[in-house]
Amino acid sequence: MALNKRERKTTELKVALAGNPNSGKTTMFNELTGSRQHVGNWPGVTVEKKTGRAFYQDYLLEVIDLPGTYSLGAYSEDEVVARDFLTTGDYDVVLNIINSANLDRNLYFTIQLLEMGVDLIAVLNMADEAEKKGIKIDKNKLSQLLGTPVVETVASRGRGIDNLLEQTVQNKNLAEASLKIDYGSEVEGLITEVVAVLKEYDFTDKINYRWAAVKLIEHDPEAVKLLEREVGVSKAKKIKSLIAERELKAEDDFDNLIIEKKYEFINKVIAESVQRPTEDQEPENMSDKIDAVVTNKYFGIPIFMLVMWGIFKFTFTVGDPLIGYIETFFEAAGSWIGSLLLGAGVSPLISSFITDGIIGGVGSVLVFIPNIFLLFLAIGVLEDSGYMSRAAYVMDKVMSKLGLHGKSFIPMIVGFGCNVPGVMATRTLDSKRDRIISILINPLMSCSARLPVYVIFAGTLFPNHASTVVFSLYALGIVMAVIMAGIFNKILFKGERSHFVMELPPYRFPTLKGVFIHMWEKVGAFLKKAGTIIFSVVVLIWVLANLPLGVEYASAQSLIGQFGQLVAPIFAPLGFGSWQAASSLVFGILAKEVVVGTLGVVYAAGEGGLRAALTANFSPLAAYSFLTMVLLYTPCIATLGAIKSETQSWKWTLITASYLFVLAWVTAFIIYQGGMLLGIGV
Amino acid sequence: MPLAMLRQGETACIKEIIGGRTARGKLTDMGFVSGKTVKIHRSSGGPLIVGLGDNRIALGRGMAHKVIVNTGGCEN
Repeated sequence: MALNKRERKTTELKVALAGNPNSGKTTMFNELTGSRQHVGNWPGVTVEKKTGRAFYQDYLLEVIDLPGTYSLGAYSEDEVVARDFLTTGDYDVVLNIINSANLDRNLYFTIQLLEMGVDLIAVLNMADEAEKKGIKIDKNKLSQLLGTPVVETVASRGRGIDNLLEQTVQNKNLAEASLKIDYGSEVEGLITEVVAVLKEYDFTDKINYRWAAVKLIEHDPEAVKLLEREVGVSKAKKIKSLIAERELKAEDDFDNLIIEKKYEFINKVIAESVQRPTEDQEPENMSDKIDAVVTNKYFGIPIFMLVMWGIFKFTFTVGDPLIGYIETFFEAAGSWIGSLLLGAGVSPLISSFITDGIIGGVGSVLVFIPNIFLLFLAIGVLEDSGYMSRAAYVMDKVMSKLGLHGKSFIPMIVGFGCNVPGVMATRTLDSKRDRIISILINPLMSCSARLPVYVIFAGTLFPNHASTVVFSLYALGIVMAVIMAGIFNKILFKGERSHFVMELPPYRFPTLKGVFIHMWEKVGAFLKKAGTIIFSVVVLIWVLANLPLGVEYASAQSLIGQFGQLVAPIFAPLGFGSWQAASSLVFGILAKEVVVGTLGVVYAAGEGGLRAALTANFSPLAAYSFLTMVLLYTPCIATLGAIKSETQSWKWTLITASYLFVLAWVTAFIIYQGGMLLGIGV
Repeated sequence: MPLAMLRQGETACIKEIIGGRTARGKLTDMGFVSGKTVKIHRSSGGPLIVGLGDNRIALGRGMAHKVIVNTGGCEN
């Protein structure tokens, strides 16, 4: 039965990938569609459905990658995305991706789909890992027991993909009856009764009656809602009381019974189709050995700090010399092109547009490609290794003091790359309260867009302690996030603690391909941003620096100068009251890299480029205060947009935008004025 | 007894899952069902790390109180 299939051409198929987290859905998606979605080794990499295309023979397959889910229960936002699609979406076949090395739990989801009447192909993925563990699966037997086709694959190596496509096309019109599990005489009797009543009430024919009856007996809230919608509240009530009455009579929780029977069925299926090595005492595996160290009560947090420190050290020590080369290149290119243009008799205005505007502005941002590249390389390795969920585990100690739990830490780590996916990653948190707090503090995680600002300032004004200064900013961000989470926890919400259950996937050695895909995607996004928003803003600033007509370029009398002077008094108590700094911060809300881009344009007129201008205009203390401001103040519009769409509320968006500005101002004020009093760095 | 009260390294057999609908649902989804053997890989104040077959699952203390076990392995 295809649930909500719509008419389409016979050579077009809609195929959905569904399964447990960490079963390799996204890897499979990439293999099938040739796309390059990011794959990670932690639950919750995919939080929204993604679509791609695959071609096989004459067929065009639209492939949909769904977020991982353990069941159709759907406790968090990402799982709801998957559940809603599977229960009401438009598709021909579901490829249920199963981790072969972990069959019993994966099959729990499979049989839920089969019971619902979903047309699915059971894809035994990660077959190599199962082989390594000595697990032998009799595909034919399994297929017979489940009543659905079974295919074996190793998506990470492209094994079995052709066969899978072949099977998908062949089974495009699966019409097998839905799976029937025997729930025992009492429940079965009740199922028959409920089905009869549903028929009598003309319940929607789009849904398998038996499945609906089982769900109702399980008191599934979604099923109850559906029933009320379809047959009306009063008739729904009759069915509910019928179930309650039988349950009372049986003196048993039918929903528990149903779950037990499901697992009994799975155990039977496994006993008949799977051979496991007989050794009682499985040898302690590598993952457990690593976990014994990294999740240690005393060493866990220090090891995590060390890992983070290592990432930043790597980003800077390897990146720094590269930055130097690119900087020299842009400077040389700027003066060479400038003289070339002047020599060719091009008007000074156009020459200034190219050298001051484009090279000075966009170039000053592009210089930081090596850092961005390296940072994402390191984060990619971190994500693919499986350490992410361990970090979340060890941070639970800190997070639980804030009324959150360890899982809330994952969006924070994601935020180090970019706050937009960081905010989206909060979908994996099942309590609304945890989600809102995590979203509110996510912008405090210093994203890669702020990195160029740190690097140029730290490198120029703290040449001997650059990486320490930058690391201190990241640390300050975390500390502020912790403090703010504590405050929000106290003032905004009370109670409603959520349940902490999180899978710790086995460690995997990051593949070169996986890490590079991740990195290219991010660097590509950075370049795209540089070419679009950063470029446009820089051009705008260059124009403002040249208006009104005839004004001296980038002087206080230019429009940007006048605008900056208007805003500057706000920042004067923080040590950077110049119009250049003020306008860079304002435009930085469009994209944080623009802070550097703006300074590049407005200081381009000076001798010795941006670095010399910074030394002349900022004391070390003022620079540090400025960096604190950049770290903490109002997030960029893309992040605010993500907050708006995730919270569905202007209130939270505005609260985030404004509380961060106040927090930034106060912190920078304390740092600058405190430093002045103590006479540090003036 | 609740799973939360086992010591590190101990093995037990799950007897039943108690608690509210959501908590129970989440636990059973992850494979915590009666008759399964669980092993405590870590119990040192914070959340537990529990071995359930080949899976390793971090389990908050509150959740671990909802898993009722018999000490010693399961029969068979």
